[in-house]
Amino acid sequence: MPDPAWGAFAIHNFLRCGRLELGRRFGWPALLLALLLSAGVSAENQEPGYLRFGVLPLQSPTKLAGMFLPLTGYLGQQLGRPVQFVTSSSFSAFMEKVAQREYDIIYLNPMLYGRSRQYGYRVIVKVASEPFTGILVTRNSGPIRALSADSLPSGIRIGFPDPGAFAATVMVRDYLNSIGIDVDRQMQVQYFGSQDSAILALHNGLVDIIGTWRPSLRSMPQAVREDLQIIAETPPQPQMPIAVRDDLSAEDIDRLYRALVGLAETEHGQTIIKQMGFKRGFESAADAEYLEVKP
Amino acid sequence: MTDTPLFSTAPMLGQQSRWVPRLFHTLRARLIISVALVHVVLMGLFTWEAVERQSHELRQEMVNQGRSLASLMVVASTNALLAEDLASLAEVTRRVGEREDVSYGEVVDVRGFVMASTREGRVGRQVGPVIEQNDQFPLAVDDRVLDLREEVLIENNRVGFVVLGLSTTNLENALTETRNRGIQYTLLALVIGSVAAWLLSLAVTRNLHELTLAAKKIGGGDLDARVNVRSQDETGTLSRAFNLMAASLQRSSRQMEQEHRKRTEAERLACVGEMAASIAHEIRNPMVALINSVKLLGNAQLAAEDHTAVVDIVNTESRRLQRILDDFLMFSRLPAPRLEDGDLKLLVEQTIGLISQDPRYADGIRFERRYEEDNRCRFDPDLMRQVLLNLMLNALQAITGEGKLIIRLQRTGDRLNVSIVDNGRGIPADLMSEISKPFFTSRKEGTGLGLPVVQRILAQHGAVLNITSREGSGTEVAFDLEVTNDG
Repeated sequence: MPDPAWGAFAIHNFLRCGRLELGRRFGWPALLLALLLSAGVSAENQEPGYLRFGVLPLQSPTKLAGMFLPLTGYLGQQLGRPVQFVTSSSFSAFMEKVAQREYDIIYLNPMLYGRSRQYGYRVIVKVASEPFTGILVTRNSGPIRALSADSLPSGIRIGFPDPGAFAATVMVRDYLNSIGIDVDRQMQVQYFGSQDSAILALHNGLVDIIGTWRPSLRSMPQAVREDLQIIAETPPQPQMPIAVRDDLSAEDIDRLYRALVGLAETEHGQTIIKQMGFKRGFESAADAEYLEVKP
Repeated sequence: MTDTPLFSTAPMLGQQSRWVPRLFHTLRARLIISVALVHVVLMGLFTWEAVERQSHELRQEMVNQGRSLASLMVVASTNALLAEDLASLAEVTRRVGEREDVSYGEVVDVRGFVMASTREGRVGRQVGPVIEQNDQFPLAVDDRVLDLREEVLIENNRVGFVVLGLSTTNLENALTETRNRGIQYTLLALVIGSVAAWLLSLAVTRNLHELTLAAKKIGGGDLDARVNVRSQDETGTLSRAFNLMAASLQRSSRQMEQEHRKRTEAERLACVGEMAASIAHEIRNPMVALINSVKLLGNAQLAAEDHTAVVDIVNTESRRLQRILDDFLMFSRLPAPRLEDGDLKLLVEQTIGLISQDPRYADGIRFERRYEEDNRCRFDPDLMRQVLLNLMLNALQAITGEGKLIIRLQRTGDRLNVSIVDNGRGIPADLMSEISKPFFTSRKEGTGLGLPVVQRILAQHGAVLNITSREGSGTEVAFDLEVTNDG
């Protein structure tokens, strides 16, 4: 006999993530039935009511958790319901879950946000901080002193976190391309899965240069930071957004917005912001700001 | 104060109670039991202590291993849990589940949903009630799983937890094996200890056994018995002392034997002298009368009447001498008895009949008979007739005028008691010790050999003559004869 809890879990996730797909395939009667089941199961089991906060795996899950758990705890207090921090094993896996609508709230880069919009996510705030840029970092003792197409030594190895990493990969590639460096022809490209892995790979001499972004570099231990130097920075793009799924209640969205925008106003909020590696917390963001961001 | 008989069979003071089996009275049994008891107690305590210690260590080790494993699960599954990487989590639980002692292992997210489990069909289910604290030993009686829980914490923020169940079956099996091994060692120690104690007791009691045999031989009269001393221990010392005692006893016995022989020889010589004196005394009177009579008969002037009287004297004294010599010969040359079964009542009646024909005793005497229905016993008829005749004549001679003679045959167990009672003048107390001596008589015509002859004949029949008398009232003489067995 099926366990009601498992049924609730499966049906809840299935319906939550696949309502649109269900509607497309089986028509509105099936979707209506699914909604009724979902409502029945939810009412019957009184789930904890967790809101799932999905964070793009910019860094290792543990490190991300250390950064975002204070924030999710704070949001849980403000919303009156617990908020679960979750991340994913890769950008693609993260976006797959975004496509499945498994997250109620997402934190991701501007480029991926553009893709998430088609799955019903809308930005409410963005990081209120320095400009959103990608940086090129080398080792102090490395072979690269200056970045120009003419003086670039041959056989240079470049590392990126992930092909989908907007600031660290996409923006850096665009920047290198703009200064006449064809990354794929002139360099040996390696992907390390996360920002931290890429930075540590550079520090350990596995590559000669990496593309990353400032918050990740700041989160590194001092010894690592002192061994590295930023030799170039890309032009800015809109900051990292926080978006919500479109089926969240207006009340929850409003509370969430107020909590995030007002985070920097309290001492506790400042501590949380500092813990996340940001400088000023979050500020209001409009969907239109991200329309120009192209992958 | 109560005298304790020299050969009493009553339990000596300090002897064991009757409820203690006789086997445990032996030194060997006590030694074996003592050593075995010590082994069992010590090994039992040692085994119990070892099992307890090992049990505690094994349980503690199991708890530590479980906690370590749970911690490892936490470390291994933290990133995957945060990333909801079910494949990685499944790999963690699969590897955990490969351990033989793991009953279950699950990774649960902060919402309480099982993200990975060693058990089929658990992923995606809510974990349900879980333990708040780790199990502690001892577990409940029917609980065979040690339940552990480890939180997945990121900077004190809980993001999930790991639950782990370790089967205690192997632990219980190990403890049972340890306990059984301890029991086996205890039994082995018991056997070895008992054998060692048996060998020790054998060495100790071997000399005691020889001592016992030697003591029994000495008790049986073999004073040459000695113990062959080999050991130098306490039993060796005891054996040497025993040999010294036996040698001393033998010397004393020889001395006593020599003394006895000397005394017997002296008594025999004294008896011969006494008898010779008695014979001389008894013979001298008739001999003097005969000599004087013969002298008178040689006198030609002796009147015819006196001659006749002297001849009568010669005849009388000659018969007297003849009787004395006959009695003496009977006393000194009693024939060997020929014991045979017979009815003593018939012999008594014959004797009474013989006496009744004698005019000296026929008048005034009443015979009273008291017999059993069965009066058979073993005796020599000729010799026993002499006994009855002598005793009855003695009784009749003690009666003056009318009197009564009671002859009683009474069976007491396997003996037939023969009793002859008269109501004569009795025997003075001061003569009771003399009447059994040869040639003692209170009658002028008596030889004093009648009663000694009776005593010798009775001795040949294994009987003793008992004489009870009160002066002026009468005398009872009695003896016992062996009853003939019917079978």
